[in-house]
Amino acid sequence: MSLVSFEFLLFIAAVVIVYYICPVKFRKFALIPANIAFCCFAGIYTLAFVLLSVITTFTGGLLAGKKTIKSGGRNAAAAVTIILNFGLLCAVKFYGVMDIFAERLNMLLGVSSESWLAFAVPLGMSFYTLQLIGYVLDCLWEKIKPEKNFFRYLIFGSYFPYLTSGPMNRYADLSAEFDREHRFSLDNFKTGIIRIAWGFFKKLIIAERAGVIVKAVYGDHAVYTGWYVVLGVAAFAIQLYTDFSGCMDVVIGVSQLLDIRMPENFNSPYFARSIREYWRRWHITLGDYLADYLYYPLLKSSLFVKIGDVSKKAFGKKKGKKVPIYLAMVILWTAIGYWHGGVWKYIIGSGLLHCFYIVSGMLCEPLFEKIRPILKSDKLPYQLFQVLRTFVLVLLGFVFFRAANVSDAIQMLKALFMRSAGEAAIDLTLANYIVLGAAVLILTAVDLYKFRPKDTDEPRSVIALTNGRPVLAWLIIVLLIAAVLVFGMYGLGYNASSFIYASI
Amino acid sequence: MTRDEIYVKLNEVFQDVFDDEDISVNDSTTADDIEDWDSLEHINLIVAVERAFGIKFSMGETTSMKNVGAMVDIIAERAG
Repeated sequence: MSLVSFEFLLFIAAVVIVYYICPVKFRKFALIPANIAFCCFAGIYTLAFVLLSVITTFTGGLLAGKKTIKSGGRNAAAAVTIILNFGLLCAVKFYGVMDIFAERLNMLLGVSSESWLAFAVPLGMSFYTLQLIGYVLDCLWEKIKPEKNFFRYLIFGSYFPYLTSGPMNRYADLSAEFDREHRFSLDNFKTGIIRIAWGFFKKLIIAERAGVIVKAVYGDHAVYTGWYVVLGVAAFAIQLYTDFSGCMDVVIGVSQLLDIRMPENFNSPYFARSIREYWRRWHITLGDYLADYLYYPLLKSSLFVKIGDVSKKAFGKKKGKKVPIYLAMVILWTAIGYWHGGVWKYIIGSGLLHCFYIVSGMLCEPLFEKIRPILKSDKLPYQLFQVLRTFVLVLLGFVFFRAANVSDAIQMLKALFMRSAGEAAIDLTLANYIVLGAAVLILTAVDLYKFRPKDTDEPRSVIALTNGRPVLAWLIIVLLIAAVLVFGMYGLGYNASSFIYASI
Repeated sequence: MTRDEIYVKLNEVFQDVFDDEDISVNDSTTADDIEDWDSLEHINLIVAVERAFGIKFSMGETTSMKNVGAMVDIIAERAG
């Protein structure tokens, strides 16, 4: 069931009605049948995979966090749980991308190519597996007490809004949200509906149109050359952002209808002034997750501390202490790339290329320190240059991300400087270009309003502008819904493509 | 160890890690107050503090200490 479908809206309406009919005390437990139903819509195997992960991590968390068990036993319990769940994820992802391997496995298993594993790939296993492994590690590291009530854990582990594409939640935060008393509130409805409508606006008006340009340009490098490549690459940046952040708007909005707050995943990412800042604004919960559960534990491990000691002796204190950081970053970014899909185009486009940007930036820092005063880095023109430079570097990564494979991405970059071998024609009318342009302008204005130069500052909320102004709130809701109905690419004969990150 | 004694030693560690002799920390100091204290340098600092005081922070503590005051609380509890 796509999150931008009429079926999903009906499902949400039913869930919300049942949820608020239930007595306040048991309201959160009404989410369990909703979660199970959502999984069943995605296929019975989806439910089986989710339940398997929930049961194993629940048990693993209990053992890993039990203080009466010796640390060796607790570590072993956590390791077995993580290996099992992560192994399953890797197997399914690997299976999904390696056709030859898949065929061989099919032969071994004696199943057809339309096998049961194929159903499991698109359900957002990458998201819930990481979230549940995080829970086990939190228990092991005594950040939280293990949950003893399986049903309470089941609500967290299978909470349907996050199941397809995140955001990545922490048990301490989300369980506290579930435990609050949830009462019907018009304010939640206003915020939830605006967020959902805004998500539909982004997906159906912007992402789907930008997708037409992307599909054409990435489809034929011989015809679409020069400025078309620039257009295609920029269109993909718009498509991916509106697709993923639109999905998050729907997810967070649905959760808001249930009076459960989830963390934000985007914070005006294309206004970042450096690649590091970009990753603090794009897919925020993934970055935070990997910092806490991979990057920090790696750096704190005795092996990395030892590497630091040796490198300090070899290269001096200032340079030497950076060596373990660089090493950990290569591992971190390879993991980020691999997580997006176990193929090189992701490992380069979403991983190692960004690692290269950050590490080379760190290596050149002494030089930057000298030239910053000359370039007047505290002034607006230089800051605008930084935003543009960061965006161009991000676009380069997206070329690999969207291309069919690495050699296709290189062909695409070559096409930038080549003459067209035929007549380029993108199947988008002038009216559609105007709609796309106007919608992107609205999106830019919203992101600019939300933008705060310091990424740790809470972004300004556009929805908060409607507080105490019910007419404005209704006007926004009506305009968004009308815009989606009139300009959205949907309906009979048109299937909105599924969210890009829902298949990761 | 008193909190004052901890702070004397802790200031030395911060000054050494961030290469700045003017750094002086207190209970409310956070990563926002020290220019070079970012996610990349955080573990270098944690490991240096562990060595200076002969203690270990758990991974949970490493990633959830809210400010230097929280760090000093743990040091005071473990360093005796």
